[in-house]
Amino acid sequence: MKFDVQHIAKLAMLKFTDEEAAEFEKEFESIVGMVENLPEIDSKGALLDPSNQMELREDVVVPSMPRNELLSNVPHLVAGCVVVPKTVE
Amino acid sequence: MELYRKSASELSALLNKKEISALELADATLARIEAVEPAVDAFLSVNADAMREKARAVDEKRARGEALGALAGIPVAVKDNICTRGVATTCASKMLENFVPPYNATVVDKLEAADALIAGKVNMDEFAMGGSCENSAFKATKNPWDTSRVPGGSSGGSAAAVAACEVPLSLGSDTGGSIRCPAGLCGIVGLKPTYGSVSRFGLVAFASSLDQIGPFGRTVDDTALLFDVIRGKDSAHDATSKDCPFTMPGSDVRGMRIGVAKEYFGEGVSEEIKTAVLRAVDEFKAMGAEVVEVSLPSTGYALSAYYIISSAEASSNLARYDGVKYGYSGRRDGSLTDLYLSTRSEGFGREVKRRIMLGTYVLSSGYYDAYYKRAKMLQKQIAAEFAAAFEHCDLIATPTTPTTAFRLGEKLSDPLAMYASDICTVTANIAGLPGVSVPCGVDSEGLPIGLQLLGPHFSESKLLTAAKCFETAKGGFAVKEL
Repeated sequence: MKFDVQHIAKLAMLKFTDEEAAEFEKEFESIVGMVENLPEIDSKGALLDPSNQMELREDVVVPSMPRNELLSNVPHLVAGCVVVPKTVE
Repeated sequence: MELYRKSASELSALLNKKEISALELADATLARIEAVEPAVDAFLSVNADAMREKARAVDEKRARGEALGALAGIPVAVKDNICTRGVATTCASKMLENFVPPYNATVVDKLEAADALIAGKVNMDEFAMGGSCENSAFKATKNPWDTSRVPGGSSGGSAAAVAACEVPLSLGSDTGGSIRCPAGLCGIVGLKPTYGSVSRFGLVAFASSLDQIGPFGRTVDDTALLFDVIRGKDSAHDATSKDCPFTMPGSDVRGMRIGVAKEYFGEGVSEEIKTAVLRAVDEFKAMGAEVVEVSLPSTGYALSAYYIISSAEASSNLARYDGVKYGYSGRRDGSLTDLYLSTRSEGFGREVKRRIMLGTYVLSSGYYDAYYKRAKMLQKQIAAEFAAAFEHCDLIATPTTPTTAFRLGEKLSDPLAMYASDICTVTANIAGLPGVSVPCGVDSEGLPIGLQLLGPHFSESKLLTAAKCFETAKGGFAVKEL
């Protein structure tokens, strides 16, 4: 089995050197080998557990966390704005 | 007996009788932590000042005759993936090394409302992914029974801190066995509650449909006490949380039907563990329980289904770590994509990357039906098999882990061997069931063996009653002197 490790890494937004990717491919083969032994199961019915119903809260306006607290962990903040690299040329 | 050896219930009684103050207990706890941490390495941060401050507040409240919470003055350690306002919550990851949550997890609010003293944050496998606590970006926690061995994972710090008598109680989280396995390997009690019985708000997400916060203690009553404090519906934050009846554990298992499923005693589980667990089952019989054979035929596929579902959810949950809003941030001299790539490649450890990659793969175009969908079908089947088994029994007794504590480094380079540590525990998460691990003896090397009891949804009272009866029959659980 051959995996395109670099393709999956791209989807996952991860970067591997060729050396890391080669090592990863070996590990990945054994892990996928383990998980792929699943039986065919008659796939009728819903996948959600009907006995575990979720209850959503009322959509009402309540005070939220203060802005400065919410932004307290932002790695790069300028004048209260979150800074990211330029996205448009 | 030294204060640190006492259970939370015993300490509560001493505090209530004013034989000790909460401040004295806080100081004794900090002294114990200082004494044994060099050997155990359970804590990532100790909350000394805040703990003393809270202790003084509790003492003043008591002096004024005010009503006190159920855990008044009792030190509790909290796994470092549970958010604590103003206190770093790292998930044992470089990614969150400097993350200081601006809010508390619901369980932490509940601890504070119960007047508990939060002793500090404890070590874990990075993002709760691992079975040995060695995947921490900061340090490896050691097993108090033999410090050359692992405490199990991922809540290894929570289990080791309690087993080493640093604190009487701790909180962990369990996605595939992360409470029960370390409880088993460290010879203490660990409860993975029913999915939905404890709010997950403020628990850093790994696999949201499987994650559950739960308590550790050295006695069943202590574990029950902490569960009673943290459980319940959290309608403002967690749509899956529920209120369900719970009573403190009773003392009678007569007439209780204990199921034994041969699928949990197969290849890969050590003979010593099988023998110890079956001996425990005999003790239940001697106490008046009935033992019945049950069948759970899909058990052998559970580990595969677990790693597919949990990794798929992890790959999605961990997509949020982009270096922009919080957490580690990579290089900023290139494009936005460069920032994402460097942040994630430098911030996540090796095991976390493995899981993200596996999750991305099983969800990727062309593979979804073969892996994820099939795993979800199997999940349904496993849940149905448990439901059928519970028509014939009240609880099911199994080993907690296939082996006792292994040596540090022994399985680190073999992900599959490490994944197999969860073989007896993943089914409870897959089916959303509660499970408790209690010590049921030691192996030939003197290492603890865990007995796992599984029950139907919201059967925590019954599970803990059985666990307590077993504890009483054993004359209490042994504590290892460090």
